[in-house]
Amino acid sequence: MSPETLHRNIKNTYYRSAAKKYYTKKGQYKMLISYYFPPTILTNEELEKEYASPSWTASKIYRKTGIKSRHIAKDELASDIAVEAGKKLFAEYGISPSQIDFLLLCTQSPDYYLPTTACIVQDRLAIPTSAGAFDYNLGCSGYIYGLATAKGLLSAGIAKNVLLITAETYTKHIHPLDRSTRTVFGDGASATLLREEDIAKIGQFALVTDGKGAQNLIVPTGAMANPRTEETAKESEDANGNIRSMDNIYMNGPEIYAFTLRGVPELIEKTLAKNNTTMEKLDYIILHQANKLVLDSLREKLEIPEEKYCVDVENIGNTVSSTIPIALKRSMERGIPQLKKGSKILIAGFGVGYSLGATVITL
Amino acid sequence: MTIEEKLDLISETLDAERSNIKPETQLCTLDEWDSMGVISTIAMLDRKFKKVLSAEQIEKLDTVQDILDRMEE
Repeated sequence: MSPETLHRNIKNTYYRSAAKKYYTKKGQYKMLISYYFPPTILTNEELEKEYASPSWTASKIYRKTGIKSRHIAKDELASDIAVEAGKKLFAEYGISPSQIDFLLLCTQSPDYYLPTTACIVQDRLAIPTSAGAFDYNLGCSGYIYGLATAKGLLSAGIAKNVLLITAETYTKHIHPLDRSTRTVFGDGASATLLREEDIAKIGQFALVTDGKGAQNLIVPTGAMANPRTEETAKESEDANGNIRSMDNIYMNGPEIYAFTLRGVPELIEKTLAKNNTTMEKLDYIILHQANKLVLDSLREKLEIPEEKYCVDVENIGNTVSSTIPIALKRSMERGIPQLKKGSKILIAGFGVGYSLGATVITL
Repeated sequence: MTIEEKLDLISETLDAERSNIKPETQLCTLDEWDSMGVISTIAMLDRKFKKVLSAEQIEKLDTVQDILDRMEE
C-alpha cells in the first residue's frame, strides 16, 4: 500500500468514525462548536453592592439587560480561554489536532502586540506547524467575518479543516466602576471546526463597515496613537457617574444602541436578498447577543416570532465575538425543534468599528 | 396619547418617581438619566413612536419636554 493510499484510508476511517458524532440519534446535524467560560462569576448582587447607586439595583439590571451574571477571566488570558475552547471541541467530537490546517483567532484582547496570539494557541493545542494561523481584530461581528474567511480558505483549496476560535476578555479593558460596560460584558471563548463539506452550508454574506463610528466604542490608549502614561491612567467621572480612565474601554451606549436600530434591519434585508430567502422561510434567527433590550427591540422591528428567535444572555452577558457560536451551540444542546438537519439559520453580528456582517447557514 | 399618559410612560421608562417627571424637569437632575435611562428612552421612542434618534438628537435631549416633543404619534 502506498503511503498516499494508507493516509487516505486512515483519513476515511477517521471521518467515518467522527461522522457518527456529528449526528444525534434523531438525525440532527450538528455544527461542530464548543465553548468555554472562565470559572469566576460576577452576579448582579455583587454589582449592586459595588455600584452603591439607588438606580442600579440587581433586579433593575436584570429587568433592563436580561443578564443575571457573567463570567470573568481573572487570571486567564485570551490564549488560555482559546486553548480551553479548542480542547473541548477536540474532546467533544473526537477531532485530532493533526487534522487542523488553518487556525483563525478573533480577539481584541490579545496576549501581546506581537506575536499574534494564534501562534501561541497553535503550539499549545499541538496543531501541526504546517498549519496557517493568524489573529484578526474584530468585536461583535467577528464570528461572521471568521466564517467568511474560512469559507474563502476552504473554497480556494488553501485549507481543508479550519479551526475558528473567538476568545474575548473585554473585562480586562473595563473599569470596575464603569457601569455602562461592566454590567453587560462577560468573557468567553468558542471554537468551531469548518471542513470542506461545510462550504455548501455557509451561505452568502452581507458585510458592512463604517469607521465613522470608531470613537463610540474604543480603548483610546495603549497602542501607537496614544501610548499609555501616568496621565492616561488618571480616572475621571463622566456625566452619568461612570468612572474610567483613558486606558479603559469607552462605550457610548446610547449611540451604539441607536446605530444598531438603524443598521441591523438594513443588514438583515441585504442578507435575505443575497440568499434568495425571506424571514418566513428561515427556521431560526440568532443575532449578536448584546443584551435583552437590544434583542427585544430588534425582534419587534424585524417582526420575528418569539419561537424563532434566540435570546440567551441571562448567565452569560455579552461575550462579544463569541455570542453567536455560544448561542447556536446552546440552542442545539437544548434540542429545540427549530434546529434539525436542513434548518436555515440567519446569524448576524454588529458592533465595534462599526463592523457588521450576516449570513444564512444550513444545518 | 395625552400629555399625562406620555409623562407616565417617561416615568415608567426611566424607572423614576412620577412626581419628579414634569415637562420642565432638566434630565441631568434625574439620577435615572444615565446610560441605561437614555437607552431605555431611545428604545421607547423606537417601539411606541417609530422614531430612531441620531447621535446629535440624543445629545440635544435636555428637558422632559424635549422627550415629549419626540413622542408624536
